[in-house]
Amino acid sequence: MFGFVTVDRSEMLGKDFDAYKAIYCSLCKQLGKEYTFLSRFILSYDCTFYAVMALSLEDDCSGFCTGRCRFNPLKKCNYLKNNEEALSKAAALSIISVYYKLVDNIADGGFFEKLLCYLLMPFFSVWHKKAKKKFPKIEEAVAEMSKAQFEVERDADCSIDKAADPTATMLSKVLSFLTDDAETCRILSTMGYFLGKWIYLIDAANDYDDDMKKSNFNPYVIAFRDKKPSHLKDINASLDHCLSECLLSYNLLEVRRFNRIIDNLLIYGLPKKQESVLYKENKN
Amino acid sequence: MNPYQVLGVSETATDAEVKTAYRELAKKYHPDNYADSPLADLAEQKMKEVNEAYDMICDMRKNPSGSHSTYSQGAYNNAQYTHTNFPDVRRLIKEGRLDDAMQILNGVSGVGRNAEWYFLMGMIFSRKGWTEQAYSYFQTACRMEPNNQEFISALNNMNARRNYNPSGYNTVNSGGCSVCDVCTTLVCMDCLCDCCGGNGCC
Repeated sequence: MFGFVTVDRSEMLGKDFDAYKAIYCSLCKQLGKEYTFLSRFILSYDCTFYAVMALSLEDDCSGFCTGRCRFNPLKKCNYLKNNEEALSKAAALSIISVYYKLVDNIADGGFFEKLLCYLLMPFFSVWHKKAKKKFPKIEEAVAEMSKAQFEVERDADCSIDKAADPTATMLSKVLSFLTDDAETCRILSTMGYFLGKWIYLIDAANDYDDDMKKSNFNPYVIAFRDKKPSHLKDINASLDHCLSECLLSYNLLEVRRFNRIIDNLLIYGLPKKQESVLYKENKN
Repeated sequence: MNPYQVLGVSETATDAEVKTAYRELAKKYHPDNYADSPLADLAEQKMKEVNEAYDMICDMRKNPSGSHSTYSQGAYNNAQYTHTNFPDVRRLIKEGRLDDAMQILNGVSGVGRNAEWYFLMGMIFSRKGWTEQAYSYFQTACRMEPNNQEFISALNNMNARRNYNPSGYNTVNSGGCSVCDVCTTLVCMDCLCDCCGGNGCC
């Protein structure tokens, strides 16, 4: 479920891409700072998006400074000067979501997957505890998702909406934590719901063939088991619907900065990802 | 309120620029887009602000050719239905009390489940974010009463949203132009015509 929320670089201005990269690097640095050097490996674009959203709503942004990359000392990177809170939230979300991914894999993964997860677990338990202490609300939202997802997957006739609901609700909650304003909270919560739904469904679409072969749980396989020929078109329409709703909600949001990065993501990045998952891979 | 700020143009913008900015925003916040969205009230509020800002600028400039705001504030579902079997359910949906509305509808059985019942179920699911379920209820409502304008425009709006194309060109090559595309185009053109408000712009 990771790695689908990416920007489309070709449609981006250079300065916006620099800012996006700086946020990415700053999140990496924040992970290193709060959860040791090893945790930097879980850095994802999805949590970078969460950091962008958090930063876009903050009152002030103090600008960027230059530093060295820890992975490549010869490379110079831009980092955000301040805004620890926003980055810290995104770092906590990274840790907590990977932790629950490991818990899920231990419950229903293959032998080697389980083994790997068991090896990683001691590190993540410690980091997870730390993140939970800092942002209990984020932890609660992800924990609820994990539990609800388990329940939902036991239903053999689960509908598409029902299957996507736990992930959608999680992102809805997690995004709404970024503000105290009631109106903004409603907008973020709706936007998060549809983005979360899109993320869950694009993952399901991505695994469609695989899940069908192995008869794993997949809401699309359940929904289209009787009508195969047109399923791609229907999957595309359901994903489009999520993106449209997400954009409509975002249009009502008052964003203080980085709006061009979020625009790019919603207008170019996500549809392009969707196209590549649904159409390009199938042609090969 | 600075009306220029609301429309996102500078005070030195020409009348045409102001009008273009107004039209863009009106298209963005058009109540029809949000009719079955949980944020319907916020969109309506935004639309009102934009209308007011545009009217203010028109008044300030006293431009005889400048038309006033032409977008209506209410969504189609507020005004267009003449007869309803479920006034309470409609009120609850408007107030955002979706679970209560759902409970009343679930209590209806047999012949009581008419086209409007399916339409309102779709409305509730849409506001909950259960898009696939909502779509199927809207489709059923339209099948049962194919001449009901309220149901048809709700379904058409949803069909338009099920074809995501914000950047203006088709990113997905589905090939050809289907009947559905023609319908969507007609709906879009209709919106654009509304936007010009019969002022001879299109």
